Amino acid sequence: MTAVSIAGVSKVFNAGRADEVTALSDVDLTVDNGQFVSLIGPSGCGKSTLLRLIADLTEPTAGTVTVAGKPAAKARHDQEYGIAFQQAGLFEWRTVRRNVELPLELRKVSRAERRTRAEEMLALVGLSDFGGHYPAQLSGGMQQRVAIARALAVHPPLLLMDEPFGALDEMTRERLQAELLQICAKTGTSTVFVTHSISEAVFLSDKVVVMSARPGRITATIDIALPTRDEAARQSPEYFALVTDVRKALRA
Amino acid sequence: MKYLRSILPPVLLGILAIAAWELTVKLGRIAPFILPAPSAIWAQLVEQRGNVLDAALASGANALAGLVGGSVVAVLAALAASRFRLIGEVSVPFAAVFSALPIIALAPILNNMFESTSSLPRRLVAGIIAFFPVFLNTLRGLREVDPTHRELMDSYAAGGWTFARLVRLPGALPFVFTGLRQASSLAVIAAVVAEYFGGLQDGLGARITSAAAFTAYPRAWAFVIGACVLGLVFYLSTLLLERLVMPWKTRLLT
Repeated sequence: MTAVSIAGVSKVFNAGRADEVTALSDVDLTVDNGQFVSLIGPSGCGKSTLLRLIADLTEPTAGTVTVAGKPAAKARHDQEYGIAFQQAGLFEWRTVRRNVELPLELRKVSRAERRTRAEEMLALVGLSDFGGHYPAQLSGGMQQRVAIARALAVHPPLLLMDEPFGALDEMTRERLQAELLQICAKTGTSTVFVTHSISEAVFLSDKVVVMSARPGRITATIDIALPTRDEAARQSPEYFALVTDVRKALRA
Repeated sequence: MKYLRSILPPVLLGILAIAAWELTVKLGRIAPFILPAPSAIWAQLVEQRGNVLDAALASGANALAGLVGGSVVAVLAALAASRFRLIGEVSVPFAAVFSALPIIALAPILNNMFESTSSLPRRLVAGIIAFFPVFLNTLRGLREVDPTHRELMDSYAAGGWTFARLVRLPGALPFVFTGLRQASSLAVIAAVVAEYFGGLQDGLGARITSAAAFTAYPRAWAFVIGACVLGLVFYLSTLLLERLVMPWKTRLLT
């Protein structure tokens, strides 16, 4: 079964008005189970819109979006995905632990079960000691890790991420990339990852989807077959060759 | 040491000001019936301490009842106004009209509407005065929602009421308390001033007018100080409550 299947999707904002914008035009995309797919492209190419369509936070003008074998709206109601944004978007009035518990709370999971699951998720992102802290007491990188833990709390089969490391410094970003890969490998989660960093897309992905703007569409799909994903991989000739491929595809 | 440094200058300034006041009055530049000396006011305050306390408790109860009642109604009204567009658009001008109602216009009417033994008119005045700042601030807070929070709650398929309870209300708390801080002082002023216009005469306002009517100015001032302290108590209690209710703000300071 495929995690995400998008067929003939178009999205037009402000249809029929003077400021009509075609954000996406005739997009097809498939994400297999357990696959890590990055969406990359210039600003305005519709990559965030595409992610929001998968998340059912906005509806397509034409075409169908299927998530975990269901229509996107049904998948959202069943919490089939976890989502993280560029802003961590933590609730400052809740402790770190209760932030992670929130999606479980909405699912009416029992208090004890919530607590166990939150501890498990915080351990996964290496923040076990910070459960009782408030978000404002954490650094930006730690907040983003909490957001990832929250996205994973319901054990969703799909993880959606919209430039989650965009606001972080290079060193924190690389560390979190490595952590994210480990987490995805451990949990078997499929991932759709929006980024504007070529190196990030290549390092993380099984497949990089290159998009272009006006109208937003997919121009190339590049399979990434790196033997390993570690510090050595970042220095390897294969890695640099793939970065060049993606760069060329973006320029084309 | 740091604490001392922040508290010392205002205390010194206060002592200097009182000394200057005492000297100016004592050296005969100001007639005692215009402005009594601090020592005379202090003597009255000590002598009348029982009366000042009783009157302050009566006015305090009125102000508290008004503050709590007005604030609860204000928060509920703001919730409704943020939830339903129509109420929101209609309510703000209405609230502005309410806030423009002067106490001096309202108090005599309300005092005549109820029996002279009723505390209700003064409490209503305090409540109406407290309503406006709490309503406006809460409404602004409820309307300001982080777009990331909204998308996140949408992704959880959370309903309107869940969203209000988990996101809107806690997010609006800092705004609610900004309103409450303003309202707490205003409620005390309203409860005191409302007595100038009839009604039950057992609070600070009535004591101040009657002392002034007997040209007992030091005594009138002693009750004014009582009103001043009462206002401070209300304000500081609100600050304390704010810290207790929003630990995530306080925790950052320590």
